[in-house]
Amino acid sequence: MSEKNREVILSRFVITLLVILALNFFLPRMMPGDPFSTISSDVQGEDVIIMTEEQREYYSHYYGLDLPLHEQFVVYLSNLVHGDLGKSIQYKMPVTDVILLHLPWTILIVLCATVISTIAGVLLGTISARNRRKGSDRLMMTGLIAFAEIPSFLLGLILLLIFCVFFRIFPLAGAVTPFAHYDSILDQARDIAYHAFLPIITLALAQLTGVYLLTRNTLITVSTKDYIRTARAKGLGEHIVWTRHALRNALLPVVTRTGFMIGMLIGGAVLVESVFRYPGIGSTLRTAVVGRDYPLIQGILLVVAVSILLCNLVVDRVYQKLDPRVDE
Amino acid sequence: MAVLEVTDLKCHYITDKSVVKAVDGISFSLEAGEILGIVGESGSGKTTTALGIMRLLDHHASVSGTVLYKGRDLATLPGPEMDRIRWKEIAIVFQNSLEALNPVMTVGQQVIEPILKHDPQAKNAEVRCADLFRLVGLDPSWRESFPHQLSGGMRQRVLLAMALSCDPRILILDEVTSALDAFTRKEVRDLLFDLQKKNGYSLIIISHDLSFVSSLASRLIVLYAGRVVETGPTADIINGPRHPYTRGLVHSTPDIFVYKDLWGIPAESATNDAPEGCPFSGRCTQPIDICRTSVPSLQPCGEEREIACHRGGIATLLKTEGVHFRYPLPGNKTLHAVNNVSMEVCEGEVLAIVGQTGSGKSTLAHVIAGIIRPESGKVQFIDEEVHGGNNGHRFGGIQIVFQDPFSSTSNRFTVLDAVREPLDINRIGTPDERLEMTKDALKWVYLPATDQFLGKYCGELSGGQRQRVALARAMVMRPKLLIADEITSALDVSTAANVLRLLKGLQNRKGFAMIYISHDLSLTLKIADRIAVMDAGKIVEIGNAHEVMLNPCSEHTKRLVGSRIGLCCHDHVHNHHAGEQNPLTGDLNHGR
Repeated sequence: MSEKNREVILSRFVITLLVILALNFFLPRMMPGDPFSTISSDVQGEDVIIMTEEQREYYSHYYGLDLPLHEQFVVYLSNLVHGDLGKSIQYKMPVTDVILLHLPWTILIVLCATVISTIAGVLLGTISARNRRKGSDRLMMTGLIAFAEIPSFLLGLILLLIFCVFFRIFPLAGAVTPFAHYDSILDQARDIAYHAFLPIITLALAQLTGVYLLTRNTLITVSTKDYIRTARAKGLGEHIVWTRHALRNALLPVVTRTGFMIGMLIGGAVLVESVFRYPGIGSTLRTAVVGRDYPLIQGILLVVAVSILLCNLVVDRVYQKLDPRVDE
Repeated sequence: MAVLEVTDLKCHYITDKSVVKAVDGISFSLEAGEILGIVGESGSGKTTTALGIMRLLDHHASVSGTVLYKGRDLATLPGPEMDRIRWKEIAIVFQNSLEALNPVMTVGQQVIEPILKHDPQAKNAEVRCADLFRLVGLDPSWRESFPHQLSGGMRQRVLLAMALSCDPRILILDEVTSALDAFTRKEVRDLLFDLQKKNGYSLIIISHDLSFVSSLASRLIVLYAGRVVETGPTADIINGPRHPYTRGLVHSTPDIFVYKDLWGIPAESATNDAPEGCPFSGRCTQPIDICRTSVPSLQPCGEEREIACHRGGIATLLKTEGVHFRYPLPGNKTLHAVNNVSMEVCEGEVLAIVGQTGSGKSTLAHVIAGIIRPESGKVQFIDEEVHGGNNGHRFGGIQIVFQDPFSSTSNRFTVLDAVREPLDINRIGTPDERLEMTKDALKWVYLPATDQFLGKYCGELSGGQRQRVALARAMVMRPKLLIADEITSALDVSTAANVLRLLKGLQNRKGFAMIYISHDLSLTLKIADRIAVMDAGKIVEIGNAHEVMLNPCSEHTKRLVGSRIGLCCHDHVHNHHAGEQNPLTGDLNHGR
């Protein structure tokens, strides 16, 4: 990549980021209500506080929300430059800390789910494409498309009912056993995996059909290409023809999709996180929105946006490695 | 001994609605070390044949017939067995396309791939790959490149190197020259020839490029609509095509007919979905009733040649034998205008008769048309003897167009009268039909068929228009043979050029045969398939137009060829042509 190219790409990212920052800042403030007048009954365990006018003014001033909007924006930006995301109104602690507390859980389940759904989807898609128009292909296709129609939260609920309520195999909520003492790191890891299992499976199943269909259809398109015929003519055998020649070409769009999905899921896992009461960034965002916790909303949206941008960047680089036709 | 024997190979593409018989019963054998050419237009089934042999067709193609390779039928071999034969025994050089090579693998990897597959112990695969690259004229450093980084010609070389990687016994080349420029094409040709000499493998060259195929192959198979229409030794087929389709192909090849304008075979290639009839009958110049009802089978015709044609190949339309004609001159002298002329005109061909003024060309034309009776000798048209213009009175006969349009059409006739007159005289059709036929004929010669134009008097027309009216008058009788006697000599160059192209276009479309009489050699070369040179009442030389032009035998022809006035800027070209051999056609027989 030339120096100039790098500059162009970088400047594009900066512009995108600025637009996102502005949206992140203004959109929450356009919602009805403010952090101090919201009566939140959603957040359990917290007392409902109705503030007096004086209190509100005091807190507004304390959090700098009494300034004109544009001044608030300038303050926000200058703080941001110094790495300060502000203070969460609800959590009464720096936004950065809140995010650092919850983001790892989301990343854990999103990454695991993506890996599982991609591997399974590619595998099933390949089997389906190789048996095109045969029974196994038809069955898989109909089944998976029907399956994809189930919304992820419903799927989560069903899994929750089956495995946690009836069979009691998995925990109902949380990311770790509360107040647990671990003898070793291995023990701790086992507990984390135990809690993360169902959310991961739910997310993975929700993504599976997309990957499967993309793999299958791309493979079918690729299998009609001349180079597949060339590979067959060389007597390489069906296995190598399908893997080395067909699949490698068919995986290109799958890689793109996977990258984008990771980015999207960081913020989009909220439904699944809610169902399993998993302390990820998605459910934190929900809490923040309900409480009109402007600094926290901004912070999380920023993290989500940056992670999507990052994933795009990574996808671009990976794609370049995989497809030599993409301009170096 | 034949290494490959294909018997009754059929490849039908089955779609939901129809069955496309891409290959419909092809049989041939390939001898060890032989170079076999398969030619035909696109869609004639050439590539499908190759894929059928290699068993590379999609599932929706149904393939039948046997393909014997060293006594084993490839069609019934189990998959893994077949994979051992592919590339190791029979390799194929695919037509270059951007996607013939895997876009995400380096070309080096793709060349090495089959080497390692067929010989997993191969230690020197890298070295061998580099050698192959050098062999096909590519720098080995290109191995690290991806297909999209190479030019079309380079990719074609990679495909060739890939095909050679396992040193196959049979190499199939599918349309390898279409992506190559003239220099590369020649290089590849020479390379293939040398490699064949060195390694002794058998080659099947598939192409629509007749000159490329014929420069390598010793035997040709001509395909049309998935069937073999003609086979035989290359030189025989190129010099004397028997099937009308083969003739059309040869005539469409610029390297063979260097001077002539190109006229493709009219109409689209048939798709052979109609079960009955000869697939070529719709485009043929000589169809008869049986051609539309039954499919001709391949029959031997002459030495090592076979042809699938109900009429036994291109039929002779007109034949003269020992024709004499003398004009009495004052003082008991006679002028021997036509002296013992024997010649033939085939269906659908353009024969030019060239010669100086007074050499007897027009007299010969008049004899052939039956306007004057020869003193002795015979003129036979189709199967009957010509006498008293008996062929001018009916459809499918002989018509003649004369030199001077001003005297051949009456000033006092309207266009309608002039063109319709032959129908009136011969009482063909009802008045309405005659009018329709007249209008059709005018459309054929690109004249307006409006009432206004039909009502014009011939005297009002320009020379070019009048000659076209004369042509329409001949065409209205739908001749099988049209004699055009100096029809452009009274016209200015531009009008002459227009009329000539019109005439040739009409001939090409309608498929009639034509005798074109002219003293202008340059002009005749543009349209003639064969040329007969006349001098003092005799035909001194007759042959393929390019042969007569490039290698004139008789002194008179040499003089005629040499008498062309070259433009100053063409001087060297002119000298060159008058000299020895043309490099293009000379190349045709090179190396064999």
